Amino acid sequence: MVISMPPMAVEFEGIHKIYPDGNIALRGASFSIEVGEIYGILGENGAGKTTLMRILYGEIKPTSGTIKIFDHVAKFSGPWDAIKTGIGMVYQHFSLIGGFTVAENLILSALPLGISAQNVLERAKESMEETGLKVPLEERINSLPVGVRQRVEIVKALVRNAKILILDEPTSVLTPIEVEDLFEVLKKLRESGLTILFITHKLKEVKAITDKVTVLRKGQVMGTRRTKEVSELELARMMVEREVLFSLERSPTRPGNPLLEVKDLWVRSDSGLPAVKGVNLSIRAGEILGIAGVQGNGQKEFVEAISGIRKPEKGTIKLKGEDITDLDNSKVYRRGLAYIPDMRSMGLVMDIDLVSNLLLTRLEEFSPDGVIRWRKAVEETKSVMKLFNVVAESVRTQVRRLSGGNQQKFMLGREIARKPDVIIASEPTHGLDVGATEYVRNKLVELRDSGKAVLLISTDLDEIMQLSDRIAVMYEGELIAQGPTREFNLEKIGLLMGGVKVEP
Amino acid sequence: MNLEDYAQVSLEITGSILAGLLVAAIILIATGYNPWKGLYIMLTGGLGDLDYLLSRASFVLLTGLAFALPMLASAFNIGGEGQMYVGGIVALIASLITKNPWIAITAGAIAGAALGFITGALRAYREVNEVITAIMLNWIFYYISIFFITSYLYNPQAPYRSVSVPKGAQLGFIEIAGIKMHLIFPLALLTSFITYFLIFHTRIGYRIRVAGLSPDSARYSGINAKMTFTNSMTLGGLFGGLSGALNVIAFTYYMDQLLTSMVGMGFDGIGVALMGRDHPIGIIFSAIFFSMLLLGGQKMQIAMNVPKELTDALSGVIIISLAMPYAYKMLMSYLKIRRMMKVAGRSS
Ligand SMILES: Nc1ncnc2c1ncn2[C@@H]1O[C@H](COP(=O)(O)OP(=O)(O)OP(=O)(O)O)[C@@H](O)[C@H]1O
Ligand SMILES: [Mg+2]
Repeated sequence: MVISMPPMAVEFEGIHKIYPDGNIALRGASFSIEVGEIYGILGENGAGKTTLMRILYGEIKPTSGTIKIFDHVAKFSGPWDAIKTGIGMVYQHFSLIGGFTVAENLILSALPLGISAQNVLERAKESMEETGLKVPLEERINSLPVGVRQRVEIVKALVRNAKILILDEPTSVLTPIEVEDLFEVLKKLRESGLTILFITHKLKEVKAITDKVTVLRKGQVMGTRRTKEVSELELARMMVEREVLFSLERSPTRPGNPLLEVKDLWVRSDSGLPAVKGVNLSIRAGEILGIAGVQGNGQKEFVEAISGIRKPEKGTIKLKGEDITDLDNSKVYRRGLAYIPDMRSMGLVMDIDLVSNLLLTRLEEFSPDGVIRWRKAVEETKSVMKLFNVVAESVRTQVRRLSGGNQQKFMLGREIARKPDVIIASEPTHGLDVGATEYVRNKLVELRDSGKAVLLISTDLDEIMQLSDRIAVMYEGELIAQGPTREFNLEKIGLLMGGVKVEP
Repeated sequence: MNLEDYAQVSLEITGSILAGLLVAAIILIATGYNPWKGLYIMLTGGLGDLDYLLSRASFVLLTGLAFALPMLASAFNIGGEGQMYVGGIVALIASLITKNPWIAITAGAIAGAALGFITGALRAYREVNEVITAIMLNWIFYYISIFFITSYLYNPQAPYRSVSVPKGAQLGFIEIAGIKMHLIFPLALLTSFITYFLIFHTRIGYRIRVAGLSPDSARYSGINAKMTFTNSMTLGGLFGGLSGALNVIAFTYYMDQLLTSMVGMGFDGIGVALMGRDHPIGIIFSAIFFSMLLLGGQKMQIAMNVPKELTDALSGVIIISLAMPYAYKMLMSYLKIRRMMKVAGRSS
């Protein structure tokens, strides 16, 4: 008797990837994708999803392991080989030429495959008819909304004869209606025999559109399930479960007056979409509020609005009872708020020395009449370095030459030395080693104990659980849950981060 | 900068000079001239008249600053030419009206600043590329200046040039160690030092540097990027205008109808700024060196009967080899920041 095996589109076998800087992104990932499936790949920030897809697309090479595509071992020396084999990729950031029309973009993208312009347009029309994907061929890309641009990318892949389509977090740039439309398109594509790899953080979407799902965590496959047979809870558990690394000494809170109050805050993202949608929040003296959430759910826009870097659309922000909604950030800082951004290249100027960096948020303080008091600034820099254990040759050392941990300590120190009452720390331990991480976390707890209000934004759930007195979860621009830490556990946060509302 | 940086820069400069001289020598040999004699005249020929050398150097020193300061904020001021013309013509008119050299020079400098402001503000607030604006303004003010000189300000005795700056409004000389010197170089020197102070010791200079080095950090620290960009271009224009004003009020005392005493100096300032590592003190040296090569080249034409094209090529080779390492670095970071600004611009 012959057992008929379903034909395989992609088989990953023991894929390891170590980036040149020593970052281990994948640790032996193995799983297979059947032809004609919509296959979900789920995982937290940094789980290795994008890395795996870039390997499949021939953009980077695995450190070890093999990939089979339609039963043949794939040896790609670049994306063009992958494209010829029938793989199409839709990046989160589209690769279209803004000033060209849709038709021109399609023709251009098929040029290396030797498909004639006439042919390209015919194929485009054909596949549009088959799948119901509508794109206006004569419009310029610039004038199209994001959702339509994404369709152009899909059509582009179809014109190039893609059999396997990779979508890396395709919904993160779309409005809810556009997401619905995209799902319709994907279902039609599946009917026509295409295999689709769908990468996401969102549990709801996995349930809504995929046939099967593989969960990645820290570069390893945590399991593969038929979507119908798995609950959101189980997926969340697979995504976030781990051992706690170390614990922190913390005294019970004695919260005081509210220092930061946010009411019905609405903020738009860089691309003009609503990123923060009606957030309410209040932090009291002596309290750490941790905001968990997958990156890109409005956290950045939220904290930038509070610190005055970004203008909110609606709502009010009060600092120590004073309305600061319309103030510029330098004024907000002077009134006692400090913001430690997640990008060190934002909070520090890498190409100038430590003293100059001290002035970044404290310029007025050290130049009362417009002339900078360098001697005073040097002294203050030295004291910050001493207080916060910043290791550097001298105050005149370029910040670029410091290790990440020392950069972070200096940035934190500079802000704390201003004696702010409210501290917003965004991913304060990202990329730091264990020692530096522990140091930074202890400092945040110290601040809380001395009666400051701390707003912690982190994608690291351990950090959130360890440090916060209260926890909130941000999902698609809203705080979908808020409460004391004891009401949360990893599992519950995992579900909430994936957009599943759970009753307490 | 720390010791290591200084060591690296001096090494870079020494290497560049040697490489430049070597190529220049090879060119001389290939074209059949004595390379030793040629390079000797080229490097020393300008030293004969120190006052003349330093005065000439002052104009490119100032246009060098005009380019260098905006460059710190990643603004590309190639409008030094137009700013010089405007500075010159406005200073001339002001001198005729007020008969006061200082008022005339100030007026010229402000006119240059206004031009820089327009160029910068158009870029910052209306997204009109400052390079294109500057090129257009250079030509517009070239012809406007000529129009004024030939239509209203022409000298009845010598119609190819303007009337002279009135005696009382001509900036005179000082005597240093028995040498009579124009006041131009001391003023340019002073401007350089003030600029140094402005860049490294004041709030405005700090903001300009941060905005140029890292737009993200500028946003974070609350620096108004558009205003800083415009400020830097305005200051650049001020130096360009000053250069033109000094040229007329303290050196030639008139303008000829083809602006021969100014044409090209605005662009020369770019080379001077790059050779001087975009640093107001470095630019003092590079401006003098630049003028040395220029005047030495002229001497060489006469002494060795070398065509002008060849001496220009030789000084070009030396200047390029000196400016290249820095120009490359600047260009790379400029392109990077432009890309970032574009992304930011699209998003706001
Ligand atoms: N070019 C790179 N060089 C070095 N390390 C990298 C590089 N790209 C990714 N990494 C690291 O590899 C790990 C996996 O990253 P990857 O982008 O694949 O995660 P992801 O699952 O796509 O995350 P996200 O949900 O945030 O997109 C992370 O720790 C990341 O920091
Ligand atoms: Mg990714």
